[in-house]
Parts: sequence; structure tokens; C-alpha cells
Amino acid sequence: MLRHLRVVPHLVGIHVRTYMEYRGALFISWIAQAIGYAGVYASIALVLARFENLGGWSWPQMALLLAFHLLAYALGASLSFVQFRDMEEKVRLGTFDAILVKPIGTWTYLAFSGLNIEYGGHIVLAIGLMAWALASLPLDWSAPLALYFLAAIISAAMLTAALMTIIGATALIWVRSRHLFSIYFGFWELARYPLNIFPLPLQIMMITFAPLGFLAFIPTAVVLDKPVPILGDLAGPASLAIGPVFVLIAMLHWRYCLRNYQGAGG
Amino acid sequence: MKLGAYPAFTATAFQARLAYRNQVWSSVFGELVATFAFIAVWTAAFADRGSVDGVSLPEMVTYVLIAGPLLQWNTTPFIREVGDAIRTGNVTAYLLKPLHYPGLLLFNQLGNNAFEQVTITLPVAIVVALSVGLLPPASFAHGALFLAYWAVSWSMLFLIATVVSLLAFWVLTAFALDWFLRGIMAVASGAIMPFWFMPAPLATILGNLPFAWVSYYPSAVYLGKLDIPAAFLHLALGLAWLAALGGFLAWLWSRASRRLVVQGG
Repeated sequence: MLRHLRVVPHLVGIHVRTYMEYRGALFISWIAQAIGYAGVYASIALVLARFENLGGWSWPQMALLLAFHLLAYALGASLSFVQFRDMEEKVRLGTFDAILVKPIGTWTYLAFSGLNIEYGGHIVLAIGLMAWALASLPLDWSAPLALYFLAAIISAAMLTAALMTIIGATALIWVRSRHLFSIYFGFWELARYPLNIFPLPLQIMMITFAPLGFLAFIPTAVVLDKPVPILGDLAGPASLAIGPVFVLIAMLHWRYCLRNYQGAGG
Repeated sequence: MKLGAYPAFTATAFQARLAYRNQVWSSVFGELVATFAFIAVWTAAFADRGSVDGVSLPEMVTYVLIAGPLLQWNTTPFIREVGDAIRTGNVTAYLLKPLHYPGLLLFNQLGNNAFEQVTITLPVAIVVALSVGLLPPASFAHGALFLAYWAVSWSMLFLIATVVSLLAFWVLTAFALDWFLRGIMAVASGAIMPFWFMPAPLATILGNLPFAWVSYYPSAVYLGKLDIPAAFLHLALGLAWLAALGGFLAWLWSRASRRLVVQGG
């Protein structure tokens, strides 16, 4: 295990050096992605400027929700999205077989050898928006609340990486799984808004089958001391537990898919 | 190459998409979820208000479907495909053939969009109509004009996406260009927030840019928010923008095809 972990910084270093060969392109892609998100956030801000609130959430509160959503997603996706989106290509072309024979855990190799630093633009925008929102909101900060906030971000990032892993791993047995990301991003879009504005069946789905309610809404509502539908007082502990629980589920699914992988070409 | 041969690219693109049926049901599901998200946002925004600035909630629900899934097709695969062809040098294969590359892109994209409208937008529209309700056009004239606006909207987005993707000849990456366009379209097309809810100075500026003809003006005409003379005037303005963008694309393509240097092979 330790032997594997010692390789990780080298894998990341090699990948980062590759990006830095084209640092102009990397910098432009950071700016471009930040502008891409800022356009959507500006539209949401305009809605709130005209309608004052959305399901009881003001613009600074919504800004915190959006920033949390973007930061947790970016942290989790940097370890997983592109790597596992391309799984079906690896399976179809047979290049996944070459990864299987490497003397390192397959997931570890995939996640860290492809660590995506292109999410830098997401992270800078998210932290900037979060800093503005936190400064604008009259929050009564305490050590437990600050710790909860940090732990909730990590848990939500773990949830993102776990879901991406589950979807990507499915390609090992189905050959194709990229289409499942369309479903993921459908719910991911919903997770930008307060859960209480959606009909009850959708709220239940966002907490169970597609638990992206935990990506941003639930932890943000806990920090802002707002009511969380269905979960109530369990929202805080549940939002901390969801990441590790889904990591375990993803590990089981990953191992099951690896055991049943038969290749698809080459 | 004769113009009559190009529709074959449309048919091929349509048939190629049929091969990936899994993508259809997952795209329908993803689009449904996203559409209902926006419907929920507007339902929450209107809350107990009957209408805001003369616009009712049923009108906004209809606006969500028209301005989003119907008119604003996903330009990302298109831009990235052109970008990849330029980056890998595969674009040279098209240059060697007796065809006009932007023309090929146009007919190819028509096939892709026809497929998406039939297999994704239509089921989403039926589900939304049956569950939430969709309004008919404000009048027969508005409905007829909407069809003309639809053609302008599609052509406008195609020209914008093609101009943006051809810039990859100079910057060699379509990835960043795609994200820039997404950010601009989110605000300037009116797909998320119609201009009638925006502050007047901003709405005036955005209303004169070509992006407004992609989502805002066609949806506004369908809902009768522009009277008939104003709708004709804006249709003419949209056509003028189309002519300008078409001319710019022709100039850009002539420059791009002359400056191409393929590295490797």
C-alpha cells in the first residue's frame, strides 16, 4: 500500500509537467471555464435581482450554494471525471488491459496519472465567489461550524469522485457508459438550486438514488441554518457520512466490475 | 461538388446517430431533468405572483422549453469535433475532397439536429406538455413567424459555432473557445433569463447582439411578446446578422484554409 502511495506524487508530477509544457493553453482554459460558469451564475444572479429570492434563498445565499457546488465538484472531478469518462474508450481499444498489468492499483493509477489541473479555473472562481458570499452573510462562525464546513466540502468531493468511478467502472461490464454521464449531469444541474423548490419525488431522488442534494444544497443549508426537506436534523451528520459511504460503494462496484471484466477488443 | 449531393451528409449523420441508442434514452432523461429544473426555478420565482412584468408562469414554462431544448442545441460536440480535426490534421482529408468544408459541417449538423429534435426534444416536449402544460403560439401569424425565426435561430447558432470552431486554426485549441461561447450564450442568448426580466440597459445591449436571435426573439415571438410589425422588423435584423456572420465565415474560411500547416501525419 505504502509502496503504491509513494508512486502517486511521481504520477501527478509527470502529468502536471505535461500540462506545463502548454502553460498558455492551460491558463486560457482556466479563464475560459471560469467565464463559462460565470455566465450561468450571472443569469441566476439576474433572476434573483428581479425576483429577490428563490425558494427563500437570497443572492448571497445562492452564491454560497453555487460556490460550494463548483468547488466540491471540481475537487472530486479533478480525480475522476476525464479519467472515468474515457473508460469506455480504454475498454473498446484494449488500452485498459495495459493498465491492469501495471504494478500499482488500477484505480490509483487512473485517478492520479490523469489528475486534471484544468479545474484550476473552477477552483479559483468557486473560492472567490465563496469568499464574497461568506463575507456578505451574517454567519455566526465557531470552530465546530468551520470544521463542519471543511469536512462537508471534502465529503461532497468524495461523493463526486465515487459517482464518477461508479459510472466509469460500468464500462468494464457494459463496454459503454459515457451516456450515463448525461444522467449524472442532469441531476448535477438540479443540485445548483435549493432542493425545496423541486417536487417531493425529485427531492427524494436527490437524496437517495441520485444523491447530488448532498453535493451543495444540504451542507450549505446546514451552514446557513436553513430547514432541509426530508432529512431535518439528520442533514448535518448525513452530509458528512455520504462521501465515505459512497466511496465504499464505489470500491465494491469497482472490484465487482474488475472481476467481471472480459475485454472488448484491442 | 454539386449542392444536391450535400443532403447525403445529413442522412448519413442521422443514420450514424441511430447506432448509439443508449445515448438517446440517457439524453432524454438528462434533458428532462434539466428542463424540469428550470421549470421549478421559475415556479419558485413566481411563487404566488400571477404575473411579473406582464408575463405569466405558463408563459415562462413554454419559454423554458422553446428557448432551451428546442432552439439552443449543444454546440460542444460540434466545436470539439472541428477542433480535433484541426489539431490532428484530419481536416486535410476534407480539403482534398471536392467539397466545401463549412458546407459539409452545415449538412452534417442538420442531420445531427434533426435526430436530436425527433428523439430528444419531442419526447421532452410531450412529457412537459402532458405534465405541466405548454401554450400554443399567441396567434396563427405569430406561429407562422416563429417557424421563420426557428430557421434563423438554427442558422445563427450554426454560424456562431462554426466561426468559433474555425478560430482553432489560429489558437489550436477548441476547448477554451467552447467554454468562452458557453459563458456568452448563457447570458446573451436569453435561454436562461429572458431579456424582459433584465435591467433595461443590459436588455437593450443584448437585444442588439446576434446571440439574441438564437433563443430570446424566437421565443418572444411565439409567446406574442413582439407585435407583428416588430416581429417582422426583428426578423429582418436577424437576417442582416445572418448575412454579416455568413460573410465573416466565408472570409475566415478563406484565410484559415490558406494558413493550414499540418505537423506530423
